[in-house]
Amino acid sequence: MSWVAWRQYRSQAVIAAALLAAFAAAILVDGFQIAAHWHAILLACAGNSACLHQEPAPTLVNGLVSDLPYLSLIVPAILGMLWGAPLVAHELETRTSDFAWAQSVTRTRWLAVKAGLLLLAAVVCGGVVSALTTWWSGPGNAQSGGQFSPGQFDIQGIVPVGYAVFAMALGIAAGTVARRTLPAIAVALGGFITLRLLVSDVLRPHYLAAITTYYNLTTGFTPAGSAWVLSQGAVSRTGQFVSAGWGSLGTFLPASCQSLLQGPPSKSGSLSAMFSCMQANGWRGVITYQPADRYRAFQGIEAGIYVLLAAALIAVAIVIVRRRDA
Amino acid sequence: MNWVVWRQYRAQGAIALALLAAFTAVALWQGLEVASQWHSLVATCAGNSGCLRQGDLIRGVANGVPYLTLAVPVALGALCGAPLVAGELESRTSDFAWSQSVTRTRWLAAKTGWLLLGAAVCGGVVAVLVTWWSGPENAQLANTFITPQYDTQGIVPIGYAVFAVALGIAAGAVARRTLPAIAVVFAGFIGLRYVIDDFVRPYFMTAVTTYFHLTGPGVSPPGAAWMLSQGMVSPTGQVVSFAVPDMYGGVLPASCQNLLPSLGPVKGGNQSMNAVYSCLQARGWRGFVTYQPASRWWAFQGIETGIYVLLAAALIAVAFVIVRRRDA
Repeated sequence: MSWVAWRQYRSQAVIAAALLAAFAAAILVDGFQIAAHWHAILLACAGNSACLHQEPAPTLVNGLVSDLPYLSLIVPAILGMLWGAPLVAHELETRTSDFAWAQSVTRTRWLAVKAGLLLLAAVVCGGVVSALTTWWSGPGNAQSGGQFSPGQFDIQGIVPVGYAVFAMALGIAAGTVARRTLPAIAVALGGFITLRLLVSDVLRPHYLAAITTYYNLTTGFTPAGSAWVLSQGAVSRTGQFVSAGWGSLGTFLPASCQSLLQGPPSKSGSLSAMFSCMQANGWRGVITYQPADRYRAFQGIEAGIYVLLAAALIAVAIVIVRRRDA
Repeated sequence: MNWVVWRQYRAQGAIALALLAAFTAVALWQGLEVASQWHSLVATCAGNSGCLRQGDLIRGVANGVPYLTLAVPVALGALCGAPLVAGELESRTSDFAWSQSVTRTRWLAAKTGWLLLGAAVCGGVVAVLVTWWSGPENAQLANTFITPQYDTQGIVPIGYAVFAVALGIAAGAVARRTLPAIAVVFAGFIGLRYVIDDFVRPYFMTAVTTYFHLTGPGVSPPGAAWMLSQGMVSPTGQVVSFAVPDMYGGVLPASCQNLLPSLGPVKGGNQSMNAVYSCLQARGWRGFVTYQPASRWWAFQGIETGIYVLLAAALIAVAFVIVRRRDA
């Protein structure tokens, strides 16, 4: 059965390997340029962290392939649509399932071998792409500490492997239920994008209870390392919250501070005068964030969610294939 | 023939209409919220532009949705365009369709025409909604000329949608099978968009370069201009960025190099950099910005849309030639 599965997928495996190689070549060329620039900056600053983080910051990611790592967000959806969806659906459509299911190999084993091979391919593709983009992002992470923020979190570490496995399983299950390839492809694309959006925007901020810290407005507060800041602003004695854009501040300020708003708040001078006035009137700074040391835990939780969903979808596919009349 | 097309596509049409309605609901709900925030911000700031830029517009849960519309054309091309010819060939319904009194050319023209019209409508409706939704943010950040704002607003989304569907139809006619045609749509659409975004779009019109004195105030192009590059340039044409760590390592003349802070940060803002800038100025270095002015935005949108529509026309012509020549 493994031999049959290999024969069915060898041309697609060759195409996938060629695409992965092209992606790796582009990422390596750009990544070495970025790394060389970053090393020159490190040498110039001689380990002085204030030098490393001063404005204007050197532009690290400016290469022609700078959009390429973010294109990797679509890799799982493509795997699920082009490999996962046709796995059962296409055999049913062309009636080759009649032949396959009349052999000495049981249907369970037929599906287990084919699905297993594709899930393994998803792990390999997701893992290789993620390893490359994680390495490519290294200097950027060191410079701006953004690997916890949405967009960066999604292309690094182990979550891309979870996405790839889930998208593949979704395609397989959708094809089994719908019995037709094209609707299964639509479900794989729509389902993957919707779930990713829901999980990253709605669920991810709440994997672990976020930390809320109150601080003195005149001194300010920055969480250590690459923390994920969920919200920041100021809160009055009566609990009135104003977010750190300060755009709606005027409505809520005590009259004594109102006059300080007249100058342009973009000038740090007048902002700090206003902060002192607010502090004197009992306002405090408030920040809600996920600390940097939870990065690995968040990656593990998110990858776990997607792998569990994939397992459930594969179980659905196996139950349906076993029950279907040939 | 129109009736046949309607029967074939009414289910897809209903699904597309439902999705468009859902998107419209989200866009209106979020867009009205952003607009009311913006109006209260404008009232608070009373014309102070620094204050306006400070305010943050909260776009909430639907924050990423405008950028998801980048995927609309490729979904249309893969799910509607690719099976148009290939699906009929695979299921052999072409044998039946091509033995009727309707000619193949008319058969293809009716199906292709209606689908391209549908693509243009989908792309147009989504683009209008996103453009309206982004209005306050455009006014606040003046960023309509950069990716992905440029790519989701105005008329280019219509060009993308028409091109993606035409690519799907042509790929299906050439490959005769739906699945490879879908793969071609994904690779071809994403590949071409990437190449035009990064390698062709900056050169649609010759960029404007403005030079300024390093010791004087810098120049920032007005409005939503597209900044292509900026920095300092020597009399011999060597370019160095304004980031201090980039100025070490022998890129500056030795006498100016010595004025750089010996190790680490520039103390007290840019005060100690003034000596470096005066030194460079004396040796003929100048500051420069290269940009596309904001006034060219509609010209760029028109050029880009034109490119995609012309490519779509070429692909449709290929599909016609192949379908007419093929043995039934």
